[in-house]
Amino acid sequence: MPWSISMNIATTSLGTLPMNKGYLLAASLAPLLGATQTLLLAAALGACAVMMIGLHQVVLVPLRNRLKGAAHMLASLLLLAALASCLQLALWAWLLPVALLLGPYPALLCLPCLVADYLLPHEGRWRSLLLNLAGLLAACLLLGACRQWLAEGLGLHLASLAPGALLLLGLLLALYNHLRPGTAHPRRQGKR
Amino acid sequence: MRTAGLLLVTAVLALSTALIWREWTLPAVSQAEKQLQSRQRLAVLPEGSYDNLPLDTPLPRPASHRPHSRIVAAYRATLAGKPAAIVLVTQAQGYAGPVVLSIAIAPDGRLIGSQVVEQQESPGLGGRLADPQVNWLKQFANRRLSDHWALKRDQGDFDQLAGATVTSRAVIEALQDALVYFDEHRHDLLGDPADE
Repeated sequence: MPWSISMNIATTSLGTLPMNKGYLLAASLAPLLGATQTLLLAAALGACAVMMIGLHQVVLVPLRNRLKGAAHMLASLLLLAALASCLQLALWAWLLPVALLLGPYPALLCLPCLVADYLLPHEGRWRSLLLNLAGLLAACLLLGACRQWLAEGLGLHLASLAPGALLLLGLLLALYNHLRPGTAHPRRQGKR
Repeated sequence: MRTAGLLLVTAVLALSTALIWREWTLPAVSQAEKQLQSRQRLAVLPEGSYDNLPLDTPLPRPASHRPHSRIVAAYRATLAGKPAAIVLVTQAQGYAGPVVLSIAIAPDGRLIGSQVVEQQESPGLGGRLADPQVNWLKQFANRRLSDHWALKRDQGDFDQLAGATVTSRAVIEALQDALVYFDEHRHDLLGDPADE
């Protein structure tokens, strides 16, 4: 999610982005960087993220027009707490070995959920949500595959640690921006 | 007022969903925990080397506090009624936290094998203790109490994990403790009359 949302922001609202949104996105990177050491972990985390973010958006639908501001935030947090608890229990029940490897990161998926709720546009929300979820899943899988390959295939130990994941994510993002078909000139990328 | 009501309904719904879900998954969670525990603790035994369910009958373990470690559990694996191995689960203090090992010892006092059940050592250093590719614990297989239980740098028989001296020493001491414990309590552990 953070990756693909940042894509959208980079392409659609350059220059209008307040700083705190940047912080939000950065905070929501934690699960993506922390629990993608292997392809299996990355796939599990990606699936959890897609499920959490999707369900969170669905259960917020009946509340969206009735609650505003702080009340909406509070309701959103309450629902997230329930969703995260259910997800953790489900992982323990049916994927315990993977759940132990994932550590606290499934619970931290609440951050990208909040970011998604905050940053998704009001018109075309569902289409944008689906696009971003697909992007997130792809980013997870790609990161997981690259990290596993670098760490196990090439013996690059850094790739299995979180800082290595951040570097790798940056490289992948740069590669994507370089290869991405689009109208934005490459020079514009990354400027605020 | 309407906002407060909606929030209250949301809170009640969220809480009750989580509680119902917990109730519903509880049996599956405890089942999964049991399975994982048995897999972790009994993986040291070669397949087909025992035909009982060792975890169902934990053995009493008197004097479980050893100099460098603590015996957390002891199990007897039997084949056709005869003891095939004793599995000791032991906890030692590693570099970053407790290291829990499962150690299988043959009735003749030979170490069959050992495996990490739990550890929080630094990833890439002590953490490679549990790495199946490094398989550092393999060097202890078939060793006996009469070997020199120390790292080569301490004039012993064993290689250390690169960059993880504390972890390596802790594991070696725990293995030695387990062998000594087996030696001291072999009749209780094997459950045979004193005919040896």
